[in-house]
Amino acid sequence: MPDLLIVERAAEIVLNEARAMGASYADLRSVRISTETVRLANGQPDQIDRGRSAGFAVRVLADGAWGFASAPDLNEKTASALLKEAVAIAKASARLNAVPVSLAAMKSVQGQYTTPFQVNPFEVPLQDKIDFLRELDSALRANTAINETETFMEFRREEKWFYSTEGAAIIQTILHSGAGMVAAARRSRREAGERSFPTSGGQHVAGGYEVIANFGMREAAPRISEEAVLLLDAPVLPAQETTLILSGDLVSLQIHESIGHPLELDRVFGSERNFSGTSFATPEQRGALQYAAPIVTVYSDPSAPGGLGSYGYDDEGIPARRAALIEKGVLVDYLSSRETASRIGRDSTGAMRAESWGDLPLVRMTNINLEPGSGTLEELIAETDQGVTIETPAAWSIDDRRENFQLGGEVAWEIRGGKRGQIYKGAVYSGNTVTFWNNCDRIGGPAEYRIWGTPNCGKGQPGQNMRTGQGASPARFRNVRVGENA
Amino acid sequence: MGRTRSEIDHILEEALGLSTGDATELVFLGTRDVTTRFAESRIHQHMSASDERLVIRLHREGRIAVTATNDLSTSGLRQALATAADIAGFLEPVEPALGIVQSPAASAAVAYDESTDTADAALRAGMVERIVAAANAEKVQAAGLLRLTTNTTAVANSAGTRQFHAETVAELSISASDDAVLGQGWSTGISHRLADLDAEALARIAVGKAVRSRNPVAIPPGEYTVILEPAAVGQLLLFLGFLAFSGKSFAQGRGVLSGRIGETVTGANITIHEDPFLPEFAGMPFDYEGVPKKPVVLIENGVARGVVHDRASAVMAGTESTGHALPPDNARGPYPKNLTLLPGDSTLDGMIAATPRGLLITHFWYVNYLNPMKAQVSATTRDGTFLIENGSITQPVQNVRVTPAILEALARVEAIGKERILYPQYSAVMSVPAVKMAQVVVSGDDE
Repeated sequence: MPDLLIVERAAEIVLNEARAMGASYADLRSVRISTETVRLANGQPDQIDRGRSAGFAVRVLADGAWGFASAPDLNEKTASALLKEAVAIAKASARLNAVPVSLAAMKSVQGQYTTPFQVNPFEVPLQDKIDFLRELDSALRANTAINETETFMEFRREEKWFYSTEGAAIIQTILHSGAGMVAAARRSRREAGERSFPTSGGQHVAGGYEVIANFGMREAAPRISEEAVLLLDAPVLPAQETTLILSGDLVSLQIHESIGHPLELDRVFGSERNFSGTSFATPEQRGALQYAAPIVTVYSDPSAPGGLGSYGYDDEGIPARRAALIEKGVLVDYLSSRETASRIGRDSTGAMRAESWGDLPLVRMTNINLEPGSGTLEELIAETDQGVTIETPAAWSIDDRRENFQLGGEVAWEIRGGKRGQIYKGAVYSGNTVTFWNNCDRIGGPAEYRIWGTPNCGKGQPGQNMRTGQGASPARFRNVRVGENA
Repeated sequence: MGRTRSEIDHILEEALGLSTGDATELVFLGTRDVTTRFAESRIHQHMSASDERLVIRLHREGRIAVTATNDLSTSGLRQALATAADIAGFLEPVEPALGIVQSPAASAAVAYDESTDTADAALRAGMVERIVAAANAEKVQAAGLLRLTTNTTAVANSAGTRQFHAETVAELSISASDDAVLGQGWSTGISHRLADLDAEALARIAVGKAVRSRNPVAIPPGEYTVILEPAAVGQLLLFLGFLAFSGKSFAQGRGVLSGRIGETVTGANITIHEDPFLPEFAGMPFDYEGVPKKPVVLIENGVARGVVHDRASAVMAGTESTGHALPPDNARGPYPKNLTLLPGDSTLDGMIAATPRGLLITHFWYVNYLNPMKAQVSATTRDGTFLIENGSITQPVQNVRVTPAILEALARVEAIGKERILYPQYSAVMSVPAVKMAQVVVSGDDE
């Protein structure tokens, strides 16, 4: 880490010199990131990576426009140089900006936050991790038809210092742990059945090494292997319009793509138009748009523990808080920054986040949590006379206004008379965001509610891979197009 | 530029000297990224970001450990090398053994332009101002990206390989829109020299499309003949890069071309090369293992001919590296960064004129895997989609979803443009023409 004294001295220089250089606002963010990946392919270590990266960034407002500069080597000289560069950038931009940037008010904050954890994963011996993953591998291969396996763990620690001319002085340590496994029964290049657990790409949460034991991977291995083998010869899900029950991790993906992204207020105002697109959910619809059925309430909640969007403060120093985005189906707010919130006359929801020290904070998903209802996945299936249930994300695409989506899962089952029937591959479904969410008539309860982690949400230019959470239980949707060519 | 070549050489020699491995491979990656993004006809993001990173691949008793750091001080190098040595103790020896080799120095590519590297904030903002003015003159909104990147890459290994490459990249992407009537247009340009980018010309393309695509109508789902503009072709080609042309999945028997070399996989009018030496690319002439790049014929007249390799995939496949390794902290395997679809003899206007009924597609959004084993993807159109009737564009249409199996779609290509553009996406740059393709299933706008 940059020594705390070096960070504080650099912050003092930036904050003191900023106004003299013409900046009306400045902040300094210094970050150190440590990562570790342990991956076994077919039971053998295939990838063991450790990385570290440290650096800092200065963000300013001058003449009503933003300027930003970042570099890896933090010291008094570079801090001063970056401030000068950021101010010059802001002043150059100002010539185009007829309306100066204004910021929603915030209270001066001084605080600390550390992800609650019991076991620091970076202190767990590598051999223990490899042994655990080999044990999972053996459990998957207990089914002799499984001939390809992958087991993995990933850990990330971010230590972050934030200071601003509005009096913020914040220190945070955010710790993420994740793991997953894949079993495949492969007959040929084009013939394979594959299943993942806890979800595709693994489950990732805020916490220490202890969380991995709670994923239930050992217990799930026989089921996952058996389903992979069954998928090898399973028929493709026939095209039909029917009742659809999604597993919690697919509901998480659905929230991510069709609620989280369209409610990023910077995107709503067009800042992603040239890359990841805009949003159908424009500001005049706040308070009026029946986005979803009345049983649907969705919060942004970085204060909820255990998600990849859990933190104490965002990258503008806004304290984490729960904010309703959709209340009883009605659009009530957006994920926002201080700048974008001020444009709709509201307070920031504290969603400004940067992937790394060198990246500009953008409005990103936090934990986007769907309030649970009641019952389990099996109970939802038992209540459904006819339909389809799909599990585990395998495919996703949505248009640039976040309306027309096509998502898919690893596996589907026919539901007939409240029971699972035929297993299917090619489990694709599609729809329109508002129609789909208004057809939600059942949400599962707290017993199967999880904050699912998405460790690779892409947005921005230069591209940033943000780590987001989506709280979800299984849920049921009526009149959905599923199957081939859905 | 950041560090000079001699400063970088000093870091690499110091790290090689400190390493306790039987053999050591190093990749230095220096970047300076200056990005100006605009929307609503104003600059909303303007930034400069610099970083330098050393990726270490340490060999010990046949085991290969990887680590990365951006602390390039002596103590930082010592710590990273110790981490790599620690990791090596937990790994199994790589089979078959990889070892390291001394690669000859690659021929230098002229890809660095000082005026691009030093373009200041006022110059960048001025360029955006001209684009915004062109859009406002037609009563549409401009948004976009001007990105100037300076990349410095050096590769060294303990067998004596030494490679160095510096390049500048100037990328301009413009969106024009009229939200009240759903008009959308887009254009892009990329070069090693900022001076090569004609902002006004690119703005005219994007603005013209936005004006022509106002008030789009819905079309019924079904099979359409489609004309893909070059960018849309590039987006499909990029996914073939992931699914078909990487030597790792090929050697593992999971690639789309595994076991199919010599087979007809597309129409006879399709030839796809990987060629960083095309003058318009001036790509990095070596890979991240220091191996000089070779041009590779991937598909020739519809017949699968080859894939790209790094050293590991080449050993697995019993062949030689083609010089397409990614940085060693990447598990994906080799990747073609300079794909090119050989041109035909048509023009875009000629293709339109010869189409009784079809769609003209500017660009796709959110291309993603649907069925990787069939090289099938799902995507929606964006930035201007138009109906062609009786040889003319008659009206703009609402965005639609398509789900092509890419090789199968390339078996139904009826015409290929003779003009190519450079299309950048992710870390690849492709040289691609427009293509006319029959029987593409369009699934409508979902409302």
